[in-house]
Amino acid sequence: MSVSEPDQGGPIARGSALARKLDDYAVPGLSAGFADRVLAVAEARSAASLPPLPPLRRSRRGWRIGQRIAIGIASFGVLASAAAATGLLQQLDIPVPTAGKVWASITGTDSAAPPAALAAAAAAKPAPAEAAGPAPVEIVGPVDTPEELAEAFRRIDEVRQGRTAERRAMVDQRIDARIGKAIENRRAAGLPPPTAEEEAAFRAKVAAERARLDQLASDRIAARRAEMERKVESGEALTREDILRPLREDRQAFVQRQEQLRQLRAMSPEERRAALRRLPPEERRALIEEYRARRAGAVAAPAPPQPVLPRSDPSGEP
Amino acid sequence: MNPSLEPSTIATHPAGSGDDAALAARLAARDAAALREVIACHAAALHRVAYRMTGDAHEAEDIVQEAVLRLWDQAPKIAARHPVGSQAAGVLRLGGWLQRVVTNLAIDRLRRTRRLSDGEVPDSADEAPLADTLIEAGERDSRARALVLALPERQRAAIVLTYYEELPNAEAAGAMDMNIKAFESLLHRARAALRQAFASQGDAP
Repeated sequence: MSVSEPDQGGPIARGSALARKLDDYAVPGLSAGFADRVLAVAEARSAASLPPLPPLRRSRRGWRIGQRIAIGIASFGVLASAAAATGLLQQLDIPVPTAGKVWASITGTDSAAPPAALAAAAAAKPAPAEAAGPAPVEIVGPVDTPEELAEAFRRIDEVRQGRTAERRAMVDQRIDARIGKAIENRRAAGLPPPTAEEEAAFRAKVAAERARLDQLASDRIAARRAEMERKVESGEALTREDILRPLREDRQAFVQRQEQLRQLRAMSPEERRAALRRLPPEERRALIEEYRARRAGAVAAPAPPQPVLPRSDPSGEP
Repeated sequence: MNPSLEPSTIATHPAGSGDDAALAARLAARDAAALREVIACHAAALHRVAYRMTGDAHEAEDIVQEAVLRLWDQAPKIAARHPVGSQAAGVLRLGGWLQRVVTNLAIDRLRRTRRLSDGEVPDSADEAPLADTLIEAGERDSRARALVLALPERQRAAIVLTYYEELPNAEAAGAMDMNIKAFESLLHRARAALRQAFASQGDAP
């Protein structure tokens, strides 16, 4: 086949010059006794890999049943104590006698007056309002004081922490599942699974990437908050929309990037390179970051719009 | 032409007949005769792939032996996943499984060798008798071998599987754990590189 042909990567025709050259590549036969050698190794391996069975263990069924009953009773006791302590039983009209009442019914003494020690302790206890520190900040109307803004941030952080932990647990689970599947696939293909060191190195890489993404998110939030603080300090009032809009825009940008990534994945390598070149540098960088994050298995979506908002009522908790 | 030069497919065993599931069950039961049957059926074809990948007969035998022993070790699991008489048994192809293992082992070894020898491809000693015709054949053989061995490992595997073993692209892609599109792209690059190397040898018409 001539090299001047336009399709250099096309099939190699039988009988062509290149095919004749390739056919000169002779293969020697297997050496004599190959099968016997393999069989000998296989049999030796079978004998070595089957150690004698260990002796049977004595049945522990009786102890296991007793252990389960003990755990059940203890759990019931803990739940009942918790229900009594939280007042749940009173709500259901189930009378719960105090220890004093029980003692009085046994001894016949009057339990109405509390013991002197308890009374003294109660007197010494400071008033709840004094012990609670500064009064909780109420957010009334738009956020226009630094205290109200700090309270709004506190509530947002509260919800954000919960969601981050939830999302992180989900991602961890996904990473574990993928590693397990990859190991299983390698085993099925007869390939050695990764060593403990290799797996640890991979997990460390994922953790580093996650820390980097967390840092990026924290920086972004800090910058946005600093800007809001500046606005409030200069006398501007922030509305619910002012606080939520950036979060929504983040979310929209994230969804848009996901869609772009999906389209890029469907392209051939050449098309993908050309499409990436056409993008503005910031957008390209963001896409590549997103792609790397996905590959590391730690997709860190920006926090979705938070429900914690400055509300006119003081009980506006998320 | 030497009979071993004849290109042939590894899938000499009828696919989908369920025979391989029965064979796997016998291997799982540690039946040495079943292992001998596997060797008789597949070893020559596997050796061709391993040899054309590595260019070294001893290395190729080692690779085939390791692949067969892995099948021996994995047989209980394979048999459990493809019980005889089930639908899964019909799709089991031990030849394909072995071929994937051989291809991966060969690529792994080549990479290791490349790391150790800094890119030099080991050349085997010429043990042929010094007869003119054999020398000439040996020269032709070594030039053909150099042409194939000059390719990067994965491109080489693509050529060995599709040209020499005449596997359909889908099966060759399976043997290399690749999707079909990626494999076709690799094969395209491999053929182009081969043609370029052939042209640079000055043999192209």
